[in-house]
Amino acid sequence: MRNNLLLIPVTAVLLLLSLAGSAYAHHATASFDMTQSTTVKGTVTGFDWTNPHAYIYLDVKNGKGAIEKWSVELGTIGMLARAGWKRDTVKAGDEITAVGNRAKDGRPVIRFEKIVFASGQELTSNVQ
Amino acid sequence: MRNYLIVSAAAAVAMLAFSPAARGQNAAQQTHVPDISGVWQVTKFQPKLFPNGGAPFKPWGEARFKEANPETNDPNLGCLPEGIPRFMFVPLPMEIFQAPTRVVIIREGTQVMRQIYMNRQHRNDLYPTYSGDSIGKWEGDTLVVDTIGFNDKTWIDSGGLPHSEALHVVERIRRLDHDTLVDDVMIEDPMAYTKPFTAQQVYKLKPGWEIQELVCTENNKYTYHGK
Repeated sequence: MRNNLLLIPVTAVLLLLSLAGSAYAHHATASFDMTQSTTVKGTVTGFDWTNPHAYIYLDVKNGKGAIEKWSVELGTIGMLARAGWKRDTVKAGDEITAVGNRAKDGRPVIRFEKIVFASGQELTSNVQ
Repeated sequence: MRNYLIVSAAAAVAMLAFSPAARGQNAAQQTHVPDISGVWQVTKFQPKLFPNGGAPFKPWGEARFKEANPETNDPNLGCLPEGIPRFMFVPLPMEIFQAPTRVVIIREGTQVMRQIYMNRQHRNDLYPTYSGDSIGKWEGDTLVVDTIGFNDKTWIDSGGLPHSEALHVVERIRRLDHDTLVDDVMIEDPMAYTKPFTAQQVYKLKPGWEIQELVCTENNKYTYHGK
């Protein structure tokens, strides 16, 4: 399963709604399907430590062995920093799993709720 | 041109009639000034003031609301200012500073600063702006802020509640306890709504937090299809 594209719709509406405010940046969640969770596993190709959103770019191998280019939208860097993120938290070549909500229009973009690193370490946008 | 000026002056007078200053409540400056300074963060993000519908729209307001689409024409998608009162609802931290003539709020968000002028009346030469003209005075432990002079380019909430240039906002901001701030907001706009309505935003003090730079246009991948 390693490097495989995992699309696991999970009905977790209540959980996600409870977290909905935490990753707020400059817009509402209208562009994303907040009714189900999507999980994507892949290799990091880039990390934008920027506002109004930070972005992780991922190469994800799909079921046919082809590479899909995904991006993971995070919150503002101010709030990420408060949640323990640094500008080098994610590096090219890292194997990560991103959990979040996919764009409604089907683009390979998710609004993140959680990142799981190969070590098992997890980072969210929740401020401690 | 002259007629326009007369109409504008009449409108300004009419708006002033709603203001605390015009009711003579601002005559004496309060000697004890409460302290509401500090970094505050909303406790709960409320994207929509009417999550179940039922906003008291007039036809003009309802038509504008139907045009609002958070995916395409939310002014925030273009990194435009939140305006008032939405500025107070953003779930990112804000810091309040107090000076004798001004209460200044800086925040992380698309709009970085708000000024509240203390102990003066609304200017009579206002032109429409995103944040309008905010004047404040202390009533006991409460900062009462009266704001007019808006343009019609902002949304009242993240759900697209519209407003016209006739928007009038009165806020009562007070510290419930050392760690808790509350803003009770009265919103009226006779062009968009049949009657005033209210909102409340609660904040928690965040000791040790500092307001961080947020340059919204740095890497904004969204496109704003508004005016």
